[in-house]
Amino acid sequence: MASNKVYWKSFDQLANTEVSQRLAENEFAQDIPVDVFLSEASSSDSTTSRRDFLKFLGFSTAAATLAACEQPIIESVPYVVQPDTLTPGVPSFYATAYTDGQDYASVLVKTREGRPIKLEPGDSARFNRGTNARAQASVISLYDSARLREPRLGEKNTDWSSMLLALKKSADQSRAEGTQFVLLTSSVYSPSLQTAIERLRQGYPNFQHVEFDAVSQSNTLDVWESLTGVRALPSIDLMATSLVLSFGSDFLASGMAQQVSSDYASRRKPGSGMLRHVELESNLSLTGSNADKRIKIKPSEVSASLAYLINQLGGKAPSVGLRGDLTKALQSLAAEMKSAMGKTLVLVGGDDANQARLAAALNGLLGSFGTTLRSDQPVYIRRGNESRLANLMADLSAKSVGTLLVAGTNPVYFRADFSKAIAGAKFSMALTDRLDETAMLCTAAAPIPHFLEAWADYRPAAGEYSIAQPTIKNLFNSMPLLEVLGSLSGDLRSAKDQVAASAAAMGLDWNRTLHDGGSTVSSGAISGAPTTAAMAMAASIKLAKPSEGMEIALYENALGAGFQANNPWLQELPDPITRLTWDNYLTMAASDALAMGFENETNSDGSLDGSYARVKVGKRLLEDVPVFIQPGQTAGTVGLAYGYGRSAAGKVADGGGVSAYALGILTGTAKVEISKAEGMHEFATVQLGHTMMGRRIVNEVNLNEFVSDPSGASWNEKPTFHTIDGLKSAEEANLWANHDHETMHMWNMSIDLTSCTGCAACVVACNAENNVPVVGKEEIRNLRDMHWLRIDRYYSSDMNKDRAAEENIGGIEMYAQMEEPSESPMVVFQPVMCQHCNHAPCETVCPVGATVHSREGLNHMAYNRCIGTRYCANNCPYKVRRFNWFNYITNEQFADVNPSQDDFGRMVLNPDVTVRSRGVMEKCSMCIQRVQYAKLEAKKVGQPVPDGAFTVACAEACSTGSITFGDVNNAKSAVRAAKADARAYHLLEEVGTQPSVFYLTKVRNA
Amino acid sequence: MFLAISILSISATAEVSADAGKKLFKANCASCHKLDKKLIGPALGEVTQRRTEEWLLKWIRNNAEFRASGDPTANALFAEYKGSIMSAYPALTDDDIKSILAYTVEGNKKAAPAAAPAPGADVVAQAPVEGVNSPWLIYILGAFLLVNLVLLFRVRNTLQQINGENPTNLLEDVDFITRVLIANKRFMTFLTVVLALGFLYAVYSFLMGIGIEKDYQPVQPIAFSHKIHAGENGVDCNYCHSSARHSKHSGIPAANVCMNCHMYIDGSEVVDASGNLKYGGERSPEIQKIYAAIGWDPEERIYMEGYEQKPIQWIRIHNLPDLAYFNHAQHVNAGKVDCQTCHGPVQEMEVAYQYSELTMGWCINCHRETEIKGDNGYYAGAIDGSASISDRLVDRFHEEKITVANIGGLECGKCHY
Repeated sequence: MASNKVYWKSFDQLANTEVSQRLAENEFAQDIPVDVFLSEASSSDSTTSRRDFLKFLGFSTAAATLAACEQPIIESVPYVVQPDTLTPGVPSFYATAYTDGQDYASVLVKTREGRPIKLEPGDSARFNRGTNARAQASVISLYDSARLREPRLGEKNTDWSSMLLALKKSADQSRAEGTQFVLLTSSVYSPSLQTAIERLRQGYPNFQHVEFDAVSQSNTLDVWESLTGVRALPSIDLMATSLVLSFGSDFLASGMAQQVSSDYASRRKPGSGMLRHVELESNLSLTGSNADKRIKIKPSEVSASLAYLINQLGGKAPSVGLRGDLTKALQSLAAEMKSAMGKTLVLVGGDDANQARLAAALNGLLGSFGTTLRSDQPVYIRRGNESRLANLMADLSAKSVGTLLVAGTNPVYFRADFSKAIAGAKFSMALTDRLDETAMLCTAAAPIPHFLEAWADYRPAAGEYSIAQPTIKNLFNSMPLLEVLGSLSGDLRSAKDQVAASAAAMGLDWNRTLHDGGSTVSSGAISGAPTTAAMAMAASIKLAKPSEGMEIALYENALGAGFQANNPWLQELPDPITRLTWDNYLTMAASDALAMGFENETNSDGSLDGSYARVKVGKRLLEDVPVFIQPGQTAGTVGLAYGYGRSAAGKVADGGGVSAYALGILTGTAKVEISKAEGMHEFATVQLGHTMMGRRIVNEVNLNEFVSDPSGASWNEKPTFHTIDGLKSAEEANLWANHDHETMHMWNMSIDLTSCTGCAACVVACNAENNVPVVGKEEIRNLRDMHWLRIDRYYSSDMNKDRAAEENIGGIEMYAQMEEPSESPMVVFQPVMCQHCNHAPCETVCPVGATVHSREGLNHMAYNRCIGTRYCANNCPYKVRRFNWFNYITNEQFADVNPSQDDFGRMVLNPDVTVRSRGVMEKCSMCIQRVQYAKLEAKKVGQPVPDGAFTVACAEACSTGSITFGDVNNAKSAVRAAKADARAYHLLEEVGTQPSVFYLTKVRNA
Repeated sequence: MFLAISILSISATAEVSADAGKKLFKANCASCHKLDKKLIGPALGEVTQRRTEEWLLKWIRNNAEFRASGDPTANALFAEYKGSIMSAYPALTDDDIKSILAYTVEGNKKAAPAAAPAPGADVVAQAPVEGVNSPWLIYILGAFLLVNLVLLFRVRNTLQQINGENPTNLLEDVDFITRVLIANKRFMTFLTVVLALGFLYAVYSFLMGIGIEKDYQPVQPIAFSHKIHAGENGVDCNYCHSSARHSKHSGIPAANVCMNCHMYIDGSEVVDASGNLKYGGERSPEIQKIYAAIGWDPEERIYMEGYEQKPIQWIRIHNLPDLAYFNHAQHVNAGKVDCQTCHGPVQEMEVAYQYSELTMGWCINCHRETEIKGDNGYYAGAIDGSASISDRLVDRFHEEKITVANIGGLECGKCHY
């Protein structure tokens, strides 16, 4: 987002010449004769009378109206030779693998007329099948107009042959001179790429391949390499777990998050034996906010706590003094762990070597190896090695690197000192998707394809092989790394042939593997239970005392490591916890903010401002970091998200937030000095109220209460009304005639608040499916966000009605205190979209009948009928209607943020959904295009619509299966079963709107 | 005339008929052979002069067998055409084959004189029948009435003169009547109301007509005639517009679909109303546009390699606004609606035009009147123990006819989303 950008219109202005100054002074080149129509004296002389003016006005209006009636000539150009796999108007799906330099997921790509427009979860047998917010959003990164289009040598565009010639010349020269030829990449887990690299190594004895991960796991990998002999992280199996103890690990949002989230949800079905989750962390993470129990802890206390637990459980580890309340909490945890031996899983976040060792030892002690922690089934998607990167930087500084080839990563941005080091390379070339921070400093830069444009293969985990296939022809003049490396080693096969060769070498059937997106292959023998080694490792560790001062813990939000920073959907996606967009900021506990004088102010228009801080880690300083006061943040700690503060990512990302990488913290946590800076930062938030103010918006129950009263009478009470005919439920007491919902379908949606983790993949999926416009930071700050689906986040408050009665606190004071979230709040997430009320308040107030009810239980919105009175939005109790204040796809104000403003960005639009114009209301349609499509498909084959044959975009994107959509008139449908569940309730049921969307009570295993 | 008689006499007298042969030729042979020109196989116009009937019978029945028997002419011929395999026709009787051969003779004779018609031979047949020109009729009638009026006027004046009154001229009469009428308030009120209503109706019709492109008939880049294809040759609509059954779009056929037929039919045989070759035996310039688009070399009968294909830029006739969602498959496949219901008599259109108004009222009207296809399994099938939609509809609407409107076909969101 452009917050501090300076624009210049021409080189003249940039140079600030006399001409440009004169031009700037005179905005209008010629004087406009204002007097003629403004001054008193001249008005009587004016040749144009008021009547004339009105005549002209009338004429021009009529002329414009009539001119607009002329129909444009529209051409319809068919293929010359139509591909037999393509029917215009019918989507085709391709299985592929999503990678963006950080994530891996198995996905299905929906294409229309040859354009990829949406990503869906891949084949159910595939590793990490599913989509998170980044995967959902990645399809628009394909159409990013900031992508590099042509190879560049120096400042000039060139072609690939001269590019490859230059690279080869430099590599050969390095070999002759005895300097290094280095390939620097993110983790490489592609068999074909590994083969290509090996082949290159044979031709160049001076060749080195260095891998590093933007958010490093190098130390943890070292620990596991020493334990198992394989440089890979163990996979985790929540299906075999009954207690998960996580020390600052955001496992629901990182690594193999889709698979873990899915398992997490299936293990947290309410009932006895439900997975219990305890999180000990400093920042309030997405994972921590889902925990049954959350303990606030400083990063420096993690090692000591782990050691304490090891000692408690009879293992051997150095003991360090801990604060009393933490000791107490750990004691009770140790007792819980003892009763769940072999079914407990201990996870640590960050990348501290000692923490990794202690966690391994604790897992060994608990008998987790081979059951909950599968070191025998490692995951290969992280392989980075920081010591090799440090060596490279030293070599660069010593000028012993002749050729540096950086592929698919951005070390200048990710590593604080790399910009200095890179100058030491004699010839450097960036294979990159954009002219980013690294490419700007390289001798040459050349475009590589987006993952949707190229052939590739992956081995993301033991036993899994997958193929990524292109779903569109290269938009720009790009070349995959496989072919670039091939040209150096004299292997001129295409990327497809190289991948096919790898698949053939594994004995796989090409068509079958391509269709399924991959295949299961033999994993090889990997040592599975390094228990003794792990425990021995822990015993010899030396631990420092927990620190007294401020500590910082870096974290990833929806932007992740920042590979897709220029993605407008991700930038505008509200952070699930803070509900802020387009920014990163220092999350800080209220007590620390008070002590240091940091403030968050809510203005009268609802917008939020925050003070700036100066953040210092060692010698590195970050200026003007806004402070956001975060409930649940451990006192004495602050958090900061990765991925922001870009300078050369594109117009969406540049200038937004600060770069956490600039602090140079490789382990993710560090001691920090914070001081106050001048000025206030303008945040863009989408949620003003943070607590439920004593209302039952999210219904919640403890597991034991739930088990003891399965009928729900005590914890899911339905509102009733006293009427003249006696006590009536909200459904019975109504003013309106009922719709006929029995004859055709009755589409309903169930949202399970127990399994919803708040990850927001559904929000991005909805944006992609329904052409939801991006409006930018300014408009979000004006509370004019356009998301059809939002995920409300509520904190618990220390005040409640019972306590107020007990302590004799008055009503006003009580509500004032209820507004304040507690210091260690419980967190709930609630996805809210149009509830499709059967007695919809919006319908009755629309003066033009633009929003009407259907007999299938949906509330329709006819855009072309809407005249924009906004009565409906005012009358909606759920506040789910969104108004188009501007024509976001043409208004210049949104040129920097709205992807539909250029020809590339428009290619992602779903052709089945209208692009809304200014002045109309819009809202969730329950993906009516999908409903209609599914009904038509059923009619084409002459069958009733089977349950589960289709679903809406949000439900499809949900890895946890929290959203169920279907026809309640189908006796065996899943949604009908959910509706009959004792946990089911309607949001604001007492209003009597009879929504088609209902929620399942959250059950907490506290 | 002579030709017609001679053909007739043959068909009347012999079982072997050139007419029957023509049908058989079109059905079995025409995709590879022409009478006057080499196509995939040789020109057959003078084949009976080149080969004996016996030889031809064997060759046509099963040429592969015939070649295997070692006939040198057959094998030489096979080699000459680079091993293009001709199908076997075991189902054809000897008479059938003789009919075809008869047609090759007769057809060839017919083609030759038609190319250079004998002067005067067809004059009678060609003379166009003068149609009754309707505007002229009205003018004549009008003139006749005017004369009558003048006559009557003169008669009245004469009568007035006889009665001793002053004869008035026409202007005075009109003036008098006008004054009487203007003085009459009732008449003036009536006139004002009628004029105002007329004006309003005119304005309303004009405004409501804005954006309606009924009868829109743009000039297309290729003078494609639906009349020839769908009408005269009876090509099924779905053959070219194949995606109408599967997709929201009916689809404009790709040039390779055209080539399925036009690889063999290049228009050189097309005759006009008078029986003359329309393009003088040359390829039709319109069909050649397809060849130019796809890169087909009609001489060599190959697709040119490395040819830069040029898509045909048709002008779209039916333009629904973006805010309306229309799906062909829903109507053609699920609803079993004939193409002609909306597109009119396409099979009679020389140049395609928009037949219907395509307004929302027009859509809605049809949805109100059209019965659903209740026997479709979507309605009739019951799943998982629930009553089928058909049963539920009968419960609700009893004996009434169940229209699209009854199942929610008038709801905004069904077409606008």
